[in-house]
Amino acid sequence: MEKYDVAIIGGGSTGLAALKQLSNLGKQAILLEAGSKIGSKNISGGILYSKKPRKGIVTNVEQVFENFLDDAPFERKITKYILHSTSKDKVYSMDLTAAHDYQANFGYSVLLNKLNSWFAKQAVETAQKFGGGIIPGVHVKSVKWNEDGTAIIQTDELDEFEVKAIIAAGGVNSEIAEMTGARPKFTPMQLYQGVKVIVKLPEKIIDERFGVSSGEGAAHLFAGDVTLNHIGGGFLYTNRNTLSVGAVYHLDSQLRNPTEPYRLIDALLKNPMVSEFIKDNVPVRADIDKSLPQEEQLRIRFAVTKLIKTWYDVRENHLSSNEKDEQAIADIKAKLSFVQEQMTAKYNVTFKTDYVEAEYGAKLIPDGKRCRMKKPFFKNILFAGDAAGRGIFIGPRIEGLNVGIDDGVRAANAVARALDKNDFSESFLGQYYSQSLEESPYTMDMKQIDQDYLKIFLDAARDVPKDIIGSRYGPILKMMSNRTLRGIAVKFANVLGYDKLLPMIESEDTYVKVPIELAERLGKSIPISYSPSILSIADRISKLSYNDDHMPHIKIRDPDSEYMKKMVILCPAKCYSEEGGKIMLQHEGCIDCGTCSQETDWKHPRGEKGVNYQYG
Amino acid sequence: MAVVVKLEPDFSEGSISYNPDGTLNRNETKSTLGPHSRIAAQAAFYAKVKYGARISVASMSGHVANTALQQAMQTCDAEVLHLYNDVLFAGADTLGTAETLKAGISKMEGKMDIVFSGHRASDGETGQTGPQIAWKLGFPFLGHVISYDVNLEKRTITVKRLLSLQGMPDVIEEVEAPLPVFIAIDPSYKHSFDTVSERLTSEKYQREAYERAKNYKDRLQVFNSEKLGVNRGLIGLAGSPTIVYDVQRVPKGKATRHAEVLDGSNPEHIRKAVARMREALSAMVTK
Repeated sequence: MEKYDVAIIGGGSTGLAALKQLSNLGKQAILLEAGSKIGSKNISGGILYSKKPRKGIVTNVEQVFENFLDDAPFERKITKYILHSTSKDKVYSMDLTAAHDYQANFGYSVLLNKLNSWFAKQAVETAQKFGGGIIPGVHVKSVKWNEDGTAIIQTDELDEFEVKAIIAAGGVNSEIAEMTGARPKFTPMQLYQGVKVIVKLPEKIIDERFGVSSGEGAAHLFAGDVTLNHIGGGFLYTNRNTLSVGAVYHLDSQLRNPTEPYRLIDALLKNPMVSEFIKDNVPVRADIDKSLPQEEQLRIRFAVTKLIKTWYDVRENHLSSNEKDEQAIADIKAKLSFVQEQMTAKYNVTFKTDYVEAEYGAKLIPDGKRCRMKKPFFKNILFAGDAAGRGIFIGPRIEGLNVGIDDGVRAANAVARALDKNDFSESFLGQYYSQSLEESPYTMDMKQIDQDYLKIFLDAARDVPKDIIGSRYGPILKMMSNRTLRGIAVKFANVLGYDKLLPMIESEDTYVKVPIELAERLGKSIPISYSPSILSIADRISKLSYNDDHMPHIKIRDPDSEYMKKMVILCPAKCYSEEGGKIMLQHEGCIDCGTCSQETDWKHPRGEKGVNYQYG
Repeated sequence: MAVVVKLEPDFSEGSISYNPDGTLNRNETKSTLGPHSRIAAQAAFYAKVKYGARISVASMSGHVANTALQQAMQTCDAEVLHLYNDVLFAGADTLGTAETLKAGISKMEGKMDIVFSGHRASDGETGQTGPQIAWKLGFPFLGHVISYDVNLEKRTITVKRLLSLQGMPDVIEEVEAPLPVFIAIDPSYKHSFDTVSERLTSEKYQREAYERAKNYKDRLQVFNSEKLGVNRGLIGLAGSPTIVYDVQRVPKGKATRHAEVLDGSNPEHIRKAVARMREALSAMVTK
């Protein structure tokens, strides 16, 4: 049997940071990723932060990946962070840029397919020097232990092999966590369900529309009627030449009153402010004359496809910040008008205002306040990132990638130390890692309210009439707005703990009722100039790329259960249907989110199988 | 070892163009590494990972910017690329092409143990070039190969061939042959690397190939007929006995099946379809 020092399970940002760190420390590590390529199974909101907490130390992305700032394919540096309260056509906006900047070096919008591929490239160059590397397309199905404590990794694709330690970074649906009994599956109360679409928009239009200079970007958050009465909200982040538009809701709120996740996205896209943000000039094909010979019809179809593709490419180039001299600009303009002329004159292509959706995706997000693992290890396995239930969600503060990267580094440091002493016992490796995570400022944020952050938030909400929130949070607000009292209130709140506080704060009042009232009373009306033709879920799924597995990776335990009946609505890929009172699964369109995992035998698809995100 | 590949039209929508008369517009259509050639390159890559083979790729083409060679390099991490480019090569049928490729392979550095080709080209579909190169090289020809393993000590190769005979179930034949051999790879070929070390090696070579292919011209050697030292009577139009005197469209076969249009939103229609499928499936079960 082949023997290696360390195996990292999962090639997301956490696992890749762990691999890079271990390699930086000169240790041999193998990273196993189920997707056919690194990044193909990863999806995030997402903004990647680099933080400078006042207390404690974190390792930031640019410290692990030295070339990050010079070379990494991040999208835009977020310089505007705005929270909008919505009610029909009215929007009331609050600038929370100060909250976004709080203890931050930077926050970049990112697309994980591209970014994680870049991380992988950096990590593998170092890893290779020490006999390590990355193996994509491998799904770990179980772990066994030898008498001497070394672990044997069994996969669907490779001969089994032996390692001294494992870093489990397989994401929120970590199978290793469940099969070893290191933690139970996360419950709906501990999870958010996030759905996202990528909207295409040329770079220069984004610059102008969002009032940002080249390379900079904006993040917009939404609460109010766009939530369709759920606890959570919507977001819109600017990428370089795309927008990430998503909706994130508590899974238990969704279970109480199920709404199709894609309808939540649609509600957001139909909000006048969002509709105006995403709009673009879109070519529309003319119907092909059916009386023409079939060959001619086919020729026209292919010719139009090719022209539209060229038109998009040339226009993209025209409206990008790529360096071009005057001659090149003139050439591109000439080509664009030539192609456009061909389209309209020869093939009757017309143009209309609409939006262009490129990719739909979904994921479960662990709410670190409620589900971070208190004992993030089992034998010689360390759990990190989403797998350990670690993400920060405090009102508009949304952080996951940076937490995962810091966790990955902490796990790598703990494993490197164990390798040096050749001691992989729980007391030497696991406890040390656990202690390290406890000391992480991110863990502190998952445990306690930070009064300085709260102040920034309250300052931003200064203009909100007291009577709107007064009736609901009157006494709390009074205490919080006074400096001395705030200190006492926060201390009192922290004694109570998040467990008791959260149901009060994370309520329908906060996410739905108060924002609606705010928008209605103070909001500006936004005129609607068009109505976006929103894709159906079937169209969204058909646009995704899959490598279908004939073997289902999910098995329904009880086709009569109430929970499974709700999956007919809550599965973001509409994989479930009800027939004669029984729930049926069609696994082919599954996007591996794990929403149904609570009451199913749920596994990740085998290596290379399932969905492949192009953006993530 | 060597791989012979072909630059072919890219038949995907958005890349292909047709003339108003329905024939292929070659100027407007993009070219790409032929799908069968790609599989041949993949098969060569297996030997690179398993046995540390050195790979050369060869192609005869009128295009000097031969992206097929670049793509093949990226697929199999080849170290040398051969391009045979000369007006005298033009108009060649499969026999004239085979002569050029044979001459090229003989010019390659070192002795070739295995030469790979695809099953056929997607624009010619004759599948003749490979066997003719084998014959000209004097190598045993093994076609329809779906997997292979080399015994380095005995200098033999064991291959599995997928044989489809009309009216009979498919047969897999195992053949052992002494090296050197010429292998035409079956379209269903797929290899797997089963150990961590093989996978690490494969990943390493793939990355190396990706980087190398970016500057593929550094490793490209272009040969004309003179440099190859070929007999002008055996190449190009002169060396091609085939005469194409007419091209006809493939006639449409008459449909013998009876089609019924069902409405997917009508539950009654769906029930009908399911019942028919059940019926068909139960008929397939042999009792």
